[in-house]
Amino acid sequence: MKRNPTAFLKEEYEELVKNDFDWKLRMLQSGSTPHSIVDGKEVIMLCSNNYLNLSNHPRLIKGAIDAAKKFGAGSGSVRAIAGTMDIHMDVERKLAKFKGTESSLIYQTGFAANAGLIPQLVGKGDIIISDEFNHGSIIDGVRLTKADRAVYKHRDMGELENVLKDADKKYKRILIITDGVFSMDGDIAPADEIVKLAKEYGAMTYVDDAHGEGVIGPDGRGIGAHYGIEGEIDVEMGTFSKAFGVVGGLIAGSQDLVNFALNKSRTWLLSGSHPPAVAGAQLAAIEVLETEPEHVNNLWENTKHFKKELSSMGFDTGYSQTPITPVIVGESSVAKELSNSLYDEGVFALPIVFPMVARDKARIRTIMNAGLTREDLDFALEKFEKLGKKLNII
Amino acid sequence: MEFRRTMESKIGFVVNPIAGMGGRVGLKGTDGVFKEAVKLGATPTASIKAEDALRYYLSNYSNKDHIQWFTCAGKMGSEELKNAGVKEKKIVYTPSGKDTTSKDTKQACKNFLKEHVDLILFCGGDGTARNVFEVVNKNVPILGIPSGVKMHSGVFGINTSAAAKMLHEFVNERLIIGDAEIMDLDEVLYRKGEWKIQLFGIAKGIVEPTYVQVGKTSYASVSDDEIKDEITEHIEDEMEKHSDFMFLFGSGGTIDYIAKKLGFDNTLLGIDAVCNKRVVGTDLNEEGLLQLLKTHKKAKIILSPIGAQGFILGRGNLQLSPPVIKKIGLDNIIVVSTPSKIASTPVIRVDTGDKKLDHMFVLEEFMMVVIGYRLSRVVRIQTNNF
Repeated sequence: MKRNPTAFLKEEYEELVKNDFDWKLRMLQSGSTPHSIVDGKEVIMLCSNNYLNLSNHPRLIKGAIDAAKKFGAGSGSVRAIAGTMDIHMDVERKLAKFKGTESSLIYQTGFAANAGLIPQLVGKGDIIISDEFNHGSIIDGVRLTKADRAVYKHRDMGELENVLKDADKKYKRILIITDGVFSMDGDIAPADEIVKLAKEYGAMTYVDDAHGEGVIGPDGRGIGAHYGIEGEIDVEMGTFSKAFGVVGGLIAGSQDLVNFALNKSRTWLLSGSHPPAVAGAQLAAIEVLETEPEHVNNLWENTKHFKKELSSMGFDTGYSQTPITPVIVGESSVAKELSNSLYDEGVFALPIVFPMVARDKARIRTIMNAGLTREDLDFALEKFEKLGKKLNII
Repeated sequence: MEFRRTMESKIGFVVNPIAGMGGRVGLKGTDGVFKEAVKLGATPTASIKAEDALRYYLSNYSNKDHIQWFTCAGKMGSEELKNAGVKEKKIVYTPSGKDTTSKDTKQACKNFLKEHVDLILFCGGDGTARNVFEVVNKNVPILGIPSGVKMHSGVFGINTSAAAKMLHEFVNERLIIGDAEIMDLDEVLYRKGEWKIQLFGIAKGIVEPTYVQVGKTSYASVSDDEIKDEITEHIEDEMEKHSDFMFLFGSGGTIDYIAKKLGFDNTLLGIDAVCNKRVVGTDLNEEGLLQLLKTHKKAKIILSPIGAQGFILGRGNLQLSPPVIKKIGLDNIIVVSTPSKIASTPVIRVDTGDKKLDHMFVLEEFMMVVIGYRLSRVVRIQTNNF
């Protein structure tokens, strides 16, 4: 049969456009800074993951430049063959110390960590137990396994224990996976209770702390430090691309974990290692967090002010415990309209609509930045108030 | 993200004016005992419920939706629409007598079908649902405003405002068509003291679609059939893993789909048995099941929640008697469900008729319900009756 082998490309794209599912890429003509130029317009940035504004920190920029000058632009190989430089190892040593774990391993991205490691931890005859709101990269990592999967209600420890009871009888290995900070609502997984249950039932624990690294816990050391259980989560997974201001995935845990992970994760083994400049910036990011507590403090001060003011205006900000503050407005169309109007007024924050969230819980998801001044926040708050009233949200 | 209908939706609307009247006077239904109910002082409630639902609908959604109403004269729909504020409607049926019966409901539905309605919205109980289904079958989806004595069928909104909201979501194509069981108590037996809920058929109901993430913030809805295909693969694996077991296929649409996909002739409303990929029993009664379990000592049974309250046992499958369940063993019960069904009935219920056996389920506290290929979800078990 004669067929047009690539006709689907256009057809499926057009279907996405028709349903308004396609990504309309916004372009920054500046760095990702508290005041960014987005599509030619200066806006207050409330949707980047650059929580601590470290992507613009002079020490990170210098770290990147120095490493590039010393080691060149690229690493020349995958880590396993000839792409491991001493600067990569320095980052891993420093990170483990920062996280309070025995060892750590840097992946090319957070996605590569989840997609590479999860399928190696469990297989046929094993089970993965997963929070219903886990991130897509976990879901894809889970899809690559031959293990059975059970889903428990969001943060519901009773349900988790029920699954564990059932799984205990039937499976060899049990792996509990959860996001640390949930990116839609900004709430935190009860990792302390999860670890306790896991120990009781002989299960492994895996926490994706992408939105918690650099944000929660003392000095932003992440979820383990937040609950005072450093080293007790079997796999603390995270990313350098959010609060750390660079790029790259990470896992922190035992030396056994790292030995296992680097020998078995296909994403790690089959992708080129980070360019030296990336590693140089990563190293500097950890040093900044260790020596300059003001960034984390500013982030939380800003968050408290912003949340408090939004609530006093009458906005529903959900039950966030972190600098992710949802502004819940109801119908999807209202969220989209509010986002567009905010942009026109100089505030950049994206709408999150059904089915990402419930039909009547469409929202603007704001992400705080330590580099925003009180004046910046008050400017943004004034716009939220003005438009909230105009759209009958408050 | 939201789909807008450009055309008008054609909705057939029928009220069973006497639905719910028996309940007030302890008659558990009005089928055949309407006059007795009136004598005992019963008053009509269906009109009130129907108007409640319509008012809620009109006050919340009327500006956004485009509906062409088809209905019946008087208290079978036209009056309720008028009282709630719907001006334009087409009357397609006028009952001949003052006291309406199931024949009137059925004739109204026949006339709705002639008008090619997109959905039939009815107000009544299980008996009314059954009457509607007897005419409509799977030709048109049906949605019930609850007003009867019994509402075991899976076609009802949980209350009047929920039914109104479902209508709105359907008109805007946010809800999809899925299986819904039509169930009813055998009322003659009931009045003799026997409680027997029968499964009459599988209608088209309207359900929340299942979504999977396809992009970072984009989701695509997955059809119920795709989900059932996944569950089928799971069951196929289970049958291979436990090849020394007999597999019993329970009643209902999901299990019927799975069995047929696996290549077995299956009874939609009954229990069938498969061993070594061969059907060894069809539409088995309790006796037949017990006989088979004598020769096939190791057996697993696949069940799915039936009806609105999530019963896996005790509604519509009474042949699965306590002796049958005990022989199979609780560990050998596999519960399957589409995620959309679990979302609408978040609790699994059992009512085997044997309190000790029910208690054994209670002690289990929960069941792992298979909702996809190698994918399950924990669901609580309750034994309270409805």
